[in-house]
Amino acid sequence: MKTQVVSIIALFIVCYYVGAAGAAGKDEAVESLVFPASYKVVNVANGGTITGVVKYEGDAPEMKKLEITKDQNVCGKTDKFEESLVVGDGNALRDVIVYLIDISEGAGFSEDKSVKYEIDQKGCQFLPHVNLLPVGQQLTMINSDRIMHNIHIFSNTNKAYNKAQGKNRRKMRLPKVKKAEGPVPIKCDVHGWMQGWIAYIPHPYFAASNEKGEYKIENVPPGTYKLGYWQAACGTNKDAPVSVTVEAGGTVTQDLTLALKK
Amino acid sequence: MSTNHRFFCVFIANLVLLSVIVIPVFAQGKKAPAASETGKALYNDKCAHCHGVEGAGDGAGAANLLPRPRDFTKGLYKIRSTGSGQLPTDQDLFDIISKGMPGSSMPAWEGILSEDQRWQIVAHIKTFYDGFEDASPVEIDLSGKVPYSGESVTKGRELYKQLECNACHGAVGRGDGTSAPDLTDEWGFRIWPANLEQKWNYRGGATTEDIFKRFIGGIAGSPMPSFISSFRVGLSDAESARMTELEAKMDSDELADAEQTEYEGLEEKLYAFEDIMLKVEEGEEPTPEEKAKLDVGMKPIFEKSWHIANYVKSLGPEAIPQPAIGDKVLRAQYRPGDLPPIGDEAWNTLESSYFPLVGQVVIEPRQFNPSIDSVTAKSFYNDKEIAFLFTWDDRTKTLPQADEETAEILEDAIAIQFPVKVPQGPTEPKPYFIWGDARRAVYLWHWKVSEPQKITEMNAKGIDKATVQSAASQVQAEGVYEDGRYRLWVKRALTTEDKNDLQFESGVFIPIAFSGWDGANGDVKTKRAISTWYTFVLEPVPSKKRFVYPPLVALISVGVLFALRGAVQRRENGNNI
Repeated sequence: MKTQVVSIIALFIVCYYVGAAGAAGKDEAVESLVFPASYKVVNVANGGTITGVVKYEGDAPEMKKLEITKDQNVCGKTDKFEESLVVGDGNALRDVIVYLIDISEGAGFSEDKSVKYEIDQKGCQFLPHVNLLPVGQQLTMINSDRIMHNIHIFSNTNKAYNKAQGKNRRKMRLPKVKKAEGPVPIKCDVHGWMQGWIAYIPHPYFAASNEKGEYKIENVPPGTYKLGYWQAACGTNKDAPVSVTVEAGGTVTQDLTLALKK
Repeated sequence: MSTNHRFFCVFIANLVLLSVIVIPVFAQGKKAPAASETGKALYNDKCAHCHGVEGAGDGAGAANLLPRPRDFTKGLYKIRSTGSGQLPTDQDLFDIISKGMPGSSMPAWEGILSEDQRWQIVAHIKTFYDGFEDASPVEIDLSGKVPYSGESVTKGRELYKQLECNACHGAVGRGDGTSAPDLTDEWGFRIWPANLEQKWNYRGGATTEDIFKRFIGGIAGSPMPSFISSFRVGLSDAESARMTELEAKMDSDELADAEQTEYEGLEEKLYAFEDIMLKVEEGEEPTPEEKAKLDVGMKPIFEKSWHIANYVKSLGPEAIPQPAIGDKVLRAQYRPGDLPPIGDEAWNTLESSYFPLVGQVVIEPRQFNPSIDSVTAKSFYNDKEIAFLFTWDDRTKTLPQADEETAEILEDAIAIQFPVKVPQGPTEPKPYFIWGDARRAVYLWHWKVSEPQKITEMNAKGIDKATVQSAASQVQAEGVYEDGRYRLWVKRALTTEDKNDLQFESGVFIPIAFSGWDGANGDVKTKRAISTWYTFVLEPVPSKKRFVYPPLVALISVGVLFALRGAVQRRENGNNI
């Protein structure tokens, strides 16, 4: 009883000094994708394709080299860089999610069993860096490093997830995700520099650009759509999406140029 | 009927009533009542100052607290009796409110709020996160508890290494692992792994069951994951060893077809168990066959987890040590000959005295979240010198480095404080406990990690009125950092010529106090951990005269008694005549 009273008094003293340090929350608002309120799966015949190249506008900033603070023999074999903005030859921009914002009717996800939803933890890095996972699919985490990683996924809508993947677990499957969300960060706390992204997507009209900046959205029902993008450092174009018209069986090319968020 | 009697009867009546009312409530699954205005009002009155009116952990007090008050809107609760990814039970929330969270700012409300009021608050807290509406959290099965034994602890120690608990918690558990300095919580705030030797700071309690639950369920919102997934569920030890063997081969070579098939078989077996595990985690009811299968698969995993819990339980003292007052006071022991150096076995023969530290919150800039919890001390002296061995835990060794925000140079350091003049008797005041005052100076030994063999002798008449003594320091020192702990050995002559030095005198109670700086915690100048004044004494040398006087006194007493007896007898004889 006495200690409780003391601790409460202490608490009030602490509260009294409030305002001295104004350390605001470090919670950076990560922009998210736009998902349709509802989505109807229909048979798409003679769908079209949207393709293009995403480029970075201007001179690419120098990539920040990561400080590898532990497990050098596994993590430090090659230099590692912060991956929020990876610009390749000809300003090609990797890891851009390009998608249809306003589609509400279209194909279901591919039934092809050979499509694997996997993230590899290799050299203490998540590969790929940006991932698209259909809602209801099971993600498999691979641990090529044979050291302990922890899979820490920072969901808000879906269940939070934080499990250790010890060196014993070369492959580990995660629970199926129930709601569209993201992209949400995936981190390993053991190796604090490890970070990637997962978007839980409700329909197949999403693509992530490769190292050449190329993306491709296929089997799109003919029509006019708002084309959106998301990139970790450049943000989104939610407020001003590009309008794209797809013709039956046709291919439309839509290149994009992104600049850093202001 | 007297007042006492009446009181007793009422008391008994209450007991009977309680047993009737309370016990059935517990038996019904310990559920919170429906959310109500009462709960909301109580929450706003008692909890919102830190946790915020909307439960987002952003109350007025939040900014100065570390760990931060919980943000209830994400449904991430650290202390749960439930599995990974699950919400806590109502009872979990009730228990935290009742008992508080040791080592954090969350106080225990038991005894301040009634049981009913605490349940009302539980109900209100649940309204901050929608997920509670259809949640049916599954409690971790504690039935297979492995009793504490040396054998279990040994197995646990091995598993602690195998599963790489040391990555964060350090080789011997002091929270000094290589990953420790970079950890942040789900909200991006700095967070430290527990110092497993300080059980009194375990947020969710330190029983073996508590430890087991944190290991199986993880600590949501923090970097501490659930470790249940680190085992190969469903595989025997032999099968698991074979899997390891094949995986090693895979790394350097292709597997032969037969090996590939064998590997896939093992993988499928593991998945078959894990699928049931995932299903249960998702809140789905397993079939009786699945349940039976899972129980078989989980048994060895739970066993190993209990070994880990027993090992962690074995670390450090069971309870917070008694501070160095009363019979725990620091007593420097007389030891003829040379005083032992830092690593000498002789130090192990002494018991440590324990000095708790708190944040310095009197003078700006303050430290509201000190990381140095305590300092311990031992001491020997001889006819000429006195030596001390001080220890304190610090999760990181911080050599001089500039603070990112303030550009101040941060570094781990300690100052041991004595008065220049020992107060004569209890009525004479001591210097002010934070580095003295204008009338009474203190004498300081200042040590920093960048110069581990140097003590700077200082005098101070106030926290910002310290001067380094001009004469070369006569104090020898050696400090080492190992496994999350500093050990500092200091030696000085008992008496010196300098009138600004404390003169050590046997048998006198001498005030002592500490200041500690943890560079990684932003400690610099007045921002630090401090203690109040304690006293210590150079245990007087037992006098050789003890072999002379007591027997002499005894002899005289006996002689006097005999003489008395003789006198009485003589008188009696005389009377009889």
